[in-house]
Order: sequence, then structure tokens, then C-alpha cells
Amino acid sequence: MKKITVPRSWRIWLLVAVLITATLFAGYGETVSPSGGNTSNNESEGGNSTTEVLSGVVKTGGSTSVEKVMLALIYQFQEDNGDVTVDYEGNGSGDGIVNTISGLYEIGHSSRELKTDGSEDGLDVTAYAIDGIAVVVNKDNGVDNLTKEQIFGIYTGEITNWSEVGGNNAPIAVITRESGSGTRSAIADIIGLEKKDDDSTKIIDTASEANNTGAVQTQVSVNPDAIGYMSFSDVDPAKVNTVNYEGVEISENSLKDGTYKLMREFLLLTKTGSALSPAAQAFMNFVMSDNGQQIVTDNKLLPIN
Amino acid sequence: MTDKISIISSKTFSKRTATKNAVEKSMNIIFLICGLAAVICVVCMTVYMLVSGAPAISKIGVFKFLFGQIWSPENSQFGILPMIISSFIATFSAIFIALPIGVLVAVFLAKLIPGKLSTALRMLIDLLAGIPSVVYGLLGAILIVPAIFKLQTAAGLPTGGSLLAAVIILIIMILPTIISVSETAIRSVPKQYEDASLALGSTKLQSIFKVTVPAAKSGIVAGMVLGVGRAIGEAMAVMMVAGNAAIMPEFLKPVRLLTASIPIEWAYSSGLHREALYGIGLVLFVFIMIINISLNTVLKKGGDVRG
Repeated sequence: MKKITVPRSWRIWLLVAVLITATLFAGYGETVSPSGGNTSNNESEGGNSTTEVLSGVVKTGGSTSVEKVMLALIYQFQEDNGDVTVDYEGNGSGDGIVNTISGLYEIGHSSRELKTDGSEDGLDVTAYAIDGIAVVVNKDNGVDNLTKEQIFGIYTGEITNWSEVGGNNAPIAVITRESGSGTRSAIADIIGLEKKDDDSTKIIDTASEANNTGAVQTQVSVNPDAIGYMSFSDVDPAKVNTVNYEGVEISENSLKDGTYKLMREFLLLTKTGSALSPAAQAFMNFVMSDNGQQIVTDNKLLPIN
Repeated sequence: MTDKISIISSKTFSKRTATKNAVEKSMNIIFLICGLAAVICVVCMTVYMLVSGAPAISKIGVFKFLFGQIWSPENSQFGILPMIISSFIATFSAIFIALPIGVLVAVFLAKLIPGKLSTALRMLIDLLAGIPSVVYGLLGAILIVPAIFKLQTAAGLPTGGSLLAAVIILIIMILPTIISVSETAIRSVPKQYEDASLALGSTKLQSIFKVTVPAAKSGIVAGMVLGVGRAIGEAMAVMMVAGNAAIMPEFLKPVRLLTASIPIEWAYSSGLHREALYGIGLVLFVFIMIINISLNTVLKKGGDVRG
């Protein structure tokens, strides 16, 4: 009949289709599953004493603070158990808790303690690592030591000038994490900014809120008068200075021997009363095994024992 | 309408009619599906926002939620008044400054410089509109926020993110919208209006500002409303510069805008706290609805005036 020409406009349709697909995929949640090599077969490690070949997918997710160590643990576990896939979704302790209760995750991750008001009941908690919390200031800030009372005063608004704690005459720019953050609830608990039973906070309401570790570090690094707190494993010494707490410098050693007191636990959550799949149980055992705890130590965290 | 066209085409090009009809029909169906998809999305979102946002608001109490002055989830205090006021002040301060600048730039582009230069400038402005908001936020956090430190120190306030920084970022972000919509409106004013004005002896600038710009009023207002919509809905960039303390707004103090609350607290929230964030989403949704409805009204009115 005649030559069928592809209309120009079709190319636009194609482009639109590609864009939509790309957007869908880009917007889709961040599911990280480190691909372990499939070379070794069921070479049981540590506490895992089963002899049958494990297989299946273990869905886990929650706290973003645990991401680094958790991915390292998952990688090693998958190396050892080639047929098991462990998924990790980093979406915050809140989601970790909610989704474990609802059964979406077999194992949830939390970097804060569960609430006792009944909204987070029905979970078994296993602590597997301890993370140091560093109090950080700008590199131009002369203050290098703060006591518990001083930090309490700064975060409650009783101390407002650096000169009151041995620094320059400048107002203190207080930076805190958003409410619900594991780091925030941990430091609040230790310093006494938050009473455990009624969960109320005394953190001054004019404090700037940053919603992740990186934002805290950036804000402190550009603001000479700022103070913030963050996970020790994420501190970049080139950007911020850590402050000694009660005269003790934060380091792997001071965390290990327990002289540095600002720390919190990383938790694995499982649903109370429901049996774990063999693969999930093996993963739990692996995390608590000597090999798992060695990985914890390698990531600048303190093993639980 | 399609039928009419196909009748005409069948009379004139009888041989091609079959193919054309097929294309027409299939395109019709595709457009219908696309149209329905949009409608379904809007309906689903409205229902979803209502279902997930309303329970928290009723649990907290509508009055306590909308007019409570303290936002402190740890103390079970969910008042969003400071955020509503901050959002409004930030948005309207930004519009107040961006509108005159935007309209003048639009006049400049449409009337005062030659076509080629104007095209080049417009491309740059469009580029400004295409930059992801997180980039604005990053620049703001590293350049604008520290630039305000001196002002804050002079006022004896702690340094850090502030309402002022948020307003500056918003001005930059909404300028492209205002400029391009206003420019289109100004260009669409019939040339005769200006010619008549010139013929009556007014200068070029007089005709632009007394005749052309007033005639393009509805388009400029539409640009303004779109700018308001963009400013009130912006979250990422302001979150990075505003300091995010949920207190009553002051220009040199940190503020929390409505939008920023959701991404800031989402990850670690649970229970009523999370539901309250849905509630904030619902409030924002209602605001955007109001803005859109007022935009439609403005456009309709403008249409009537110009006939």
C-alpha cells in the first residue's frame, strides 16, 4: 500500500514511557541486599550449628544508624550461607518497629529502646552492639571538654553562651536530632533530658533540628558556635571536633573499657511468640557469634559482651 | 468532535480513512486512559489523605492540632500553629519580594531587549527552574546560612538556620515560575493596545506599565498563585536551611515549615506521632487545594475580562 512511517510523536511517547518507568524505579524504596558470593556452601560459622543447607529470604529493615555494620554482617552471613538472602531496608527505627509488629519484617532494626506506653509491645529485643555517641563542635571552637551537667544545661537552655563553659563569648547554637531519633532518645536518656517513664523532653524548643547524622555534621562544620551529637562511627575528624565527656575522650578504647559513658545499644527485634524461619534464626545466631561480634568491633562499635 | 473530523476526512481522503480512523480511535483510547489515570490518582490521594490524616486530627482535637502552639511529640503535644504561621510568613515574604522582581524581569524579557538575547536569558531562567531543590538547599546551607551568621551575632542570637535563609531560598526558587508565566501573559497582550497607547503620545515605558501590564494582570496573578503553591509545598530546600525548630517565627531565628516536618520526623516516628504527620499532610493538601481553586477562579475571571 504505502510506506508506513513511524510518526515523530511516537518517540515522545517512548520517552514518556521510559521516564515514567525510571521515576517508578527511582522512587521505589531503597532495598539493599548485598550479594554474597555463592562459592562456599553451608560452612557453618559460630553459633550456627545446623547441618542442613539453609535457604530462603529473610526480610529485615529499620534503623539507618545500623546500616554500615548491618550490611557488613549480612555480607559475611551470605558468604557463609550461599542460598540465603537477607534483605535490609534502611527506613528508620520507627518503621523497623512498626513493620516487625505487623509481620512485614522477620527481623527489625532499632537504634532506640522500645516505648513502654503499649504502642510498641509484642517484640523480643536482642542487643548486639553498643555505639558511642560523640558530642561534636566546630573545629574553631576551643571547648574540648563538657560535663554531664554542662551538656544538660546547654540542651535545656540554661547555658546559652560558650563563655559559661570555658569558650568564646558567643551564643551557643544548639543542634539536636528530630524527636523519635535513636541517637536523640539515647543521649536524652543518659543526660537526663528525658524522663523514661513519661517520655517528656526538656530539650529547648529553639534548638535547630537536623534529621540525619550527615546534616548534624554539616551544620556543625559550617557554624563556629554550634554543638551537636552523632554516632561515633560516622564522625569525620576532618570536619568536626569531638568533645571529651566528663574528661574522657571518645575512642574505641574508652568505649571498650566503659570509661566513656555516652553510648546506646543497637537492637534486633523479633515478634514475640512467632517462630523464626531457620534462616532468620541462623542469622540471629551469626550476629551474636564470635565472628559476628568481630564484625561489630571492626565497625567501630562495641560488642555486646 | 472526533466523529466530525473523521466524517470530513472520509469525504476528502477516502483511501486513507481506514488507517486514520484506527489511529484516531486508538489515540482516543490512550488519551482516555491517561486522563482517567490522572483522575484516579487525584481521587485516591484525596481519600488516602483523609483516611490517614483525619483520625489523628480528631484524636488530638481539631482546635488543639491547628491552634496548639507546642509541637513536642515526646510530650504528646501536637500543635502545628507555629508551623502554619511560619509557612505563611515564609511564603508571603518570598512572594512579596519575588513578585515585583519577577514581573520586571518578565517585562524586560518580553518588551525591552531584542529577541535573541531574550531567548538566551529565558533559557537560563528555565534552567534555574529545573535545578533540583536539594541543590538549592545545599547551596543555602553552605552559603546563605553562614552569610546570615553576622546578622544573628549582631542581634545576640545563636547562629544557624533561620526564617530569613528560608525566605531567600524560596525567592530564588519561585522566581522562574513567576517570570515565565508573567512573560507569557505580557506577550499575549495584543500589540494594538500598545500601539494605540504609543499613538496617543505616551512613551514606551508608559505604555508598558499603564497598558500592557494591567492587561496581562490575570496572567501575572496566575504566576503569583503558582509561585505561592510552589513555595508552600517546598520541603527539601527549606528543611536544609531553616533550622527546623518548631517555634513561633522570627526572621533571624530557626523556624519549622509545615512541609519540612514530615520528612524530618517521618523515619523514626510511630504511633500517634506518625498519624499526626499524616494530619500535617492533610492540612497541606487542603492549603494546596485552596490555592488551586483560587487560581482557577482568577484565570476564569481574567478570561471574562479579556473576552
